Amino acid sequence: MTRLVRSITEMEGRFEEKWVLVSDDEPEAWASDRPLAIVGHETPRTTGPTRVSGAARYTTDVSLPGMLHVAALRSPLAHGRVTGLNREAALAVPGVRAVLDSTDTLSFRSRSGPLYAEPEHAGALLAVVAADTLVAARAGVKALALTIDPLPFVIDVDEAFRDQRIDGEIAEESRGDVDAALAGADVRVELTVETPTQLQTALEPHGAVGWWTEGELTCWVSTQGIFDARSELAKRFSVAPERVRVVADFIGGGFGAKQGAGVEALLAVELSRRTGRPVRFINDRHGEQLDAGSRPATRQTVRLGATGQGDLVAIDSEVLTSFGMTGWRAVNTPAMTLYRCANARGVEANLKLHLRQGNAFRAPMVLEGVTAVEQAMDELAITLGIDPLDLRRRNFVDVDQPSGLPYTSNQLLACYDRVAELSGWVGRDALLEPSEDGLLRGMGCATQIWWGGGGPPSHATIRIGGDGIATVVTGIQDIGTGTLTAAQMVAAEELGLPLDRVRVTGGDTRPNVYGPVAGGSQTSPSVLPAVRGAAAEVKRTLLQLAGDVFEAAPADLDLVNGRFRSSDGALDEPYTEVTGKLGNATVDGSGMRGANPDGMRANTFGCQVAQVAVDPGTGEVRVEHVWAVHDIGRVINPLGARSQVEGGILQGMAFALSEEVAFDPTTGVPTNAWLDDYKIPSIADVPAMTIAFVDVPDTALNNVGAKGLGEPPIIPTPAAIANAFRHATGRRALALPLTRARVVETLA
Amino acid sequence: MVNGTARVADGVLESDSLLTMLRERLDLPGSKGACEQGECGSCSVYLDGVLVCSCLVLAAQADGHGVLTVEGLADGDRLDPVQQAFIDAGAVQCGFCTPGLVLAAHDLLGRHRDPSDLEIREALAGNLCRCTGYEKVLDAVRLALARRSR
Repeated sequence: MTRLVRSITEMEGRFEEKWVLVSDDEPEAWASDRPLAIVGHETPRTTGPTRVSGAARYTTDVSLPGMLHVAALRSPLAHGRVTGLNREAALAVPGVRAVLDSTDTLSFRSRSGPLYAEPEHAGALLAVVAADTLVAARAGVKALALTIDPLPFVIDVDEAFRDQRIDGEIAEESRGDVDAALAGADVRVELTVETPTQLQTALEPHGAVGWWTEGELTCWVSTQGIFDARSELAKRFSVAPERVRVVADFIGGGFGAKQGAGVEALLAVELSRRTGRPVRFINDRHGEQLDAGSRPATRQTVRLGATGQGDLVAIDSEVLTSFGMTGWRAVNTPAMTLYRCANARGVEANLKLHLRQGNAFRAPMVLEGVTAVEQAMDELAITLGIDPLDLRRRNFVDVDQPSGLPYTSNQLLACYDRVAELSGWVGRDALLEPSEDGLLRGMGCATQIWWGGGGPPSHATIRIGGDGIATVVTGIQDIGTGTLTAAQMVAAEELGLPLDRVRVTGGDTRPNVYGPVAGGSQTSPSVLPAVRGAAAEVKRTLLQLAGDVFEAAPADLDLVNGRFRSSDGALDEPYTEVTGKLGNATVDGSGMRGANPDGMRANTFGCQVAQVAVDPGTGEVRVEHVWAVHDIGRVINPLGARSQVEGGILQGMAFALSEEVAFDPTTGVPTNAWLDDYKIPSIADVPAMTIAFVDVPDTALNNVGAKGLGEPPIIPTPAAIANAFRHATGRRALALPLTRARVVETLA
Repeated sequence: MVNGTARVADGVLESDSLLTMLRERLDLPGSKGACEQGECGSCSVYLDGVLVCSCLVLAAQADGHGVLTVEGLADGDRLDPVQQAFIDAGAVQCGFCTPGLVLAAHDLLGRHRDPSDLEIREALAGNLCRCTGYEKVLDAVRLALARRSR
């Protein structure tokens, strides 16, 4: 029995009430103490052999007969006006089939662009050329012989603020009386910190292959959201969604930047429509680093007031974000939610700058906010002479303060205890003793908060046939996180079949089984309960059929590890004794994610400790060890989960130590938009990592008890490293990353 | 010779890299292009037994020489022990860098009987991965080494 109900859904802290389809037959949550055969056990990923053998086909690998290749002409200036493009010369290049620029009337609707006559950031698309080969397309771009007049630009934060170049309204949220509380506080600290522009740098650049045929549209897209991409293409090109198929079998990373169809798909489809040929448009690395988005830089001032015992009485946070011309606001989320405080205020403004529009990058805005708030907390602990972890424990809060609602689960205090135990936190001052190698060592901690509860709508179907193979169909896409493996595990667990009897699919809109975008750490807690629901329905039917075959009461039977067993043990037969009799018939089940519990908030929590070694001579900072403990509800696949955390830590470490877009102040153009000068970590930079989970299922949230893990592990790493640097050196660098120049300057 | 078979590639341009020829002319897209400047290692292949970035080698330079790509590493359905170790250790996430990392690890194990952790890091430092955090890549190399010494 299914029903339509009104339910609150959440995506990265944006709440929306909508109608969702729910099932009365959804299984009860697995009890916390129930032993599970597959879920919770280390499982290598289902597509491993395909990926290690080079057989996996990513969007960039799609090759079709007659396919055209696209090269892009991008703005060499932060702001300018195109004065000349020689289209005839480009079209005269052998092999060039089409040229598009801002003067063309495109068949899809777009608020601005995607091809600009007056670009407002370096790297903005000015024109695209489609040709038989990429070499010819690039020759076509050269033949366009761009001339462009420079226009005034602003990329400097101080200049923009002075000129009040502010996007929309300044956001302000508050509770209590912050000014009075600060004035009356026993102890006050104030800290201004800057965070850098960080580039997602997925190894597979953004790209798409579009193929328009007789009103049918097929599009391979390197996207985190195949259904969002389908909606976008259908709407923009005015085609029914049923006539649009989006495929993303393998995606070479996304980290937030690959939302919807993207401009590459829109232009590939446009060019396909005009030329009658399939068209592939893959960003080259320079285009990707210039124009695929970023985590925007911030400047944040945090003021904290506390009692002499360390109880927070005031939190005041002001944020300037360098988002580009427009953006959203969430940097103050940690200031408003992380600690118990009756008086809190967050003010947040986006500055209008001639920069590429920022977009989502793993824990967007919350990572930045935590980086500032957690450094301020560290300063407060030092001022008070309190252990920084004790200060955090003391100000622990078990409700979401802006809404006043309780959390579905919150194991943060257990995270603190476990990370302290693993890292030897209480003995950390021993690191301050002079060392033989002359390096300064220290240890710091930081807390993590993020949403990650998922929710409806999310669907799954399972079909099992005469061959005994259960096929799980989902509408999710695996951007590298291993969610399809988790889906396979949950299905096998619920069905009572061995893992290798279950296959799982995703990354294709054609079956029309909806799955959510891979974002907000929502995929696992959204789709896995739907998969379990579908498996439960199939299992119910199989038990009935087993009753027919074995002349037993279905209620007396169970299916365990591929065998039908009766409660008295008298019957013990392989499940293929039943499925083998299906012939060409199939047993089908469908499941859907139920509504989230009313009146509760679902969040993930965690704490990380970092140990650094600083060379005061060269300014080199090395992270020696990171200990991470997170509360993500039930851990479905410990192998995949630890890998997620390791990857998050490394990206967070890079945010703290090396990743930063540098701009030429005279032109406003990024000077390091390649891989040789934008430093992402290599294997040589990897610190020791100790990872643990407070593996307590969130039974209030969904039927598998899982919360999400994509975002959480990156969030506390930069602040933990910055605080470790402070512990080691007694100084705080007021801007990240801790490059050698900045460290030498800070220690001078 | 590509993966043990003599191959003739049509339509190769003078300016085409070995990577472009493999991917676009010989239907071997296992080697990936992620930077086209020799920084990321995703395009790693063997050229006459030497590990190279195929984006930095001209296609014409491979004429008459032996190329081994990730597609040629397995023996039919039987994966190379390095490939199997990457799966078992959980060293694969999105997998885009994996072909290059697998070849770099294979090269290391071919040159070194018992590399130290430092030597493993040195050998794989030219292969960028944005997902895994590399810890499980180290695990995979250690696992392959342990299995070999058994």
